[in-house]
Amino acid sequence: MNIDVASYQPPADQTAWLGTDPIPAKAYYDPDYYELERQAIFMRTWLTIGHVCELLEPGSFIRRDLEFAKASILIVRGKDGVIRGFHNACTHRGTQLEGRGEGKANAFICPYHRWNFGLDGALRSAPDFERFYTTKENCALKPVSVDVCGGMIFVNLDPEPAQSLHEFLGEYIVERLETIPAAKATDFCEYTYEIDANWKLTYDNFQESYHLKFIHPRTGAASYTPENPFGYPENYGFHGVHRSQQFWPNYNPDVTTPVQQTVFPMLAGYATEKGLMPDPTNREYYAVFPGFFIFGSPTQHFSHVVYPISATRSRGVIRLYWVGDWETASDRFAREYCLAIAREVHVEDVNVIKAGQRGLNSGALEHIHFQALEGLCRHLYLVSNGIVEAYKAEQEAAGEAQ
Amino acid sequence: MTEPVQLPEGFATLEPFVARWSLRTSAERDRARGDSTEEEREAFYAAAQPLLEAALSYLDGFPARQLGEKEQRLMDLVLSLAHVSLAVEVQKEMEEQHARQRNDMPITRSVTDPA
Repeated sequence: MNIDVASYQPPADQTAWLGTDPIPAKAYYDPDYYELERQAIFMRTWLTIGHVCELLEPGSFIRRDLEFAKASILIVRGKDGVIRGFHNACTHRGTQLEGRGEGKANAFICPYHRWNFGLDGALRSAPDFERFYTTKENCALKPVSVDVCGGMIFVNLDPEPAQSLHEFLGEYIVERLETIPAAKATDFCEYTYEIDANWKLTYDNFQESYHLKFIHPRTGAASYTPENPFGYPENYGFHGVHRSQQFWPNYNPDVTTPVQQTVFPMLAGYATEKGLMPDPTNREYYAVFPGFFIFGSPTQHFSHVVYPISATRSRGVIRLYWVGDWETASDRFAREYCLAIAREVHVEDVNVIKAGQRGLNSGALEHIHFQALEGLCRHLYLVSNGIVEAYKAEQEAAGEAQ
Repeated sequence: MTEPVQLPEGFATLEPFVARWSLRTSAERDRARGDSTEEEREAFYAAAQPLLEAALSYLDGFPARQLGEKEQRLMDLVLSLAHVSLAVEVQKEMEEQHARQRNDMPITRSVTDPA
């Protein structure tokens, strides 16, 4: 099919409202700035941490360690079906209760003195408890706020979150997360990485197309053409602290390989069979502040979340969510190929992100620059910095009030 | 002495690749790609790619989770082609550099792995 795409115009005007100022480089390496972000953003914002398909039955749990908070969190489906979160710490003397990353449990039992906690976090029994100077009610597991949207599990480390998850996401993002194929997912593939790079620097790589032709000359070849030589998107959207973009459809991708010619029709078959086509979110990318994005496509899908570890180290988790189990050899092969090719592209980004961090660490650069088609990166900085500034003002006001 | 037949009838040309490429998990298949030489990848691709559709349509005739031993070997072998084809069809001379980078991003879960 040949469609005239010569009229393609990049959506540069859609980012004009973000301004044109250079961006302080400090925000991408400075430990003091990161500490403010950690407190202002990560310790009190809803963060994606898993998917309900990991907690299918009562007693199913996952453990997630969040390095920036030095926290280990247990998320468990109770006997009543409710998903709850707790700090993975015995209230006796702090011992971590679960060493497994996931599993099934009837209770969480501390290995040290056998304190026994129910799936609702209540202390059910503890040997010789009469000798303690407290009550069982006082010794329930420390709760962590948990909520779900579109199958995605979010946690908030603020004991009293200022906003509900739905207030935080806003109507638009809630509606889209509930529409994308991942909302119906029953299983997923996953690959992860740790990287010597700031969380924003890492994340920014995945929200601009400008680098595609240089870093992905082979794997990204279908995403740019002479009409759109950088593979820029068709549209941007800004939704409070969140963002979206609609990828440009390359109508004439002349780069499929023999194996891809076998696989792609299988994927289209899967999407049709599972009722995922037509997909209104196809080609849509939703960036949920601070570090999560997900791609709506039923056939070339993935989600990606970046967690900070320090000012200059981060951890990324990439998942490909699938609806229903594979039922045939062809289906199985197509899923293997999707995993391999998605990772094929992401692997190519790691070294260049690390090189960016090595260049910034000396402080030689006062500023970095974002062009009009790196507007999503600019938006992430402006939103994060706005929250940091508000936090500083809040701390100063609290200090003066004392 | 003839070697025992490891694969279903019709796939005899893939027999020499079973030991190297018929692997149970996505992570093992990825590792085999990384540990292989260009010659090994090209030989496997040259033999397996023309039989990919035939192998899948043959295997589609069986209950996917209850394959016989020979069918299971063929399935696991074909799944390696997903990885090796990326080296041969896409990366080409850039494969060696790409392989080093892949170690930074381990596969931690795959829906295609045995339950």
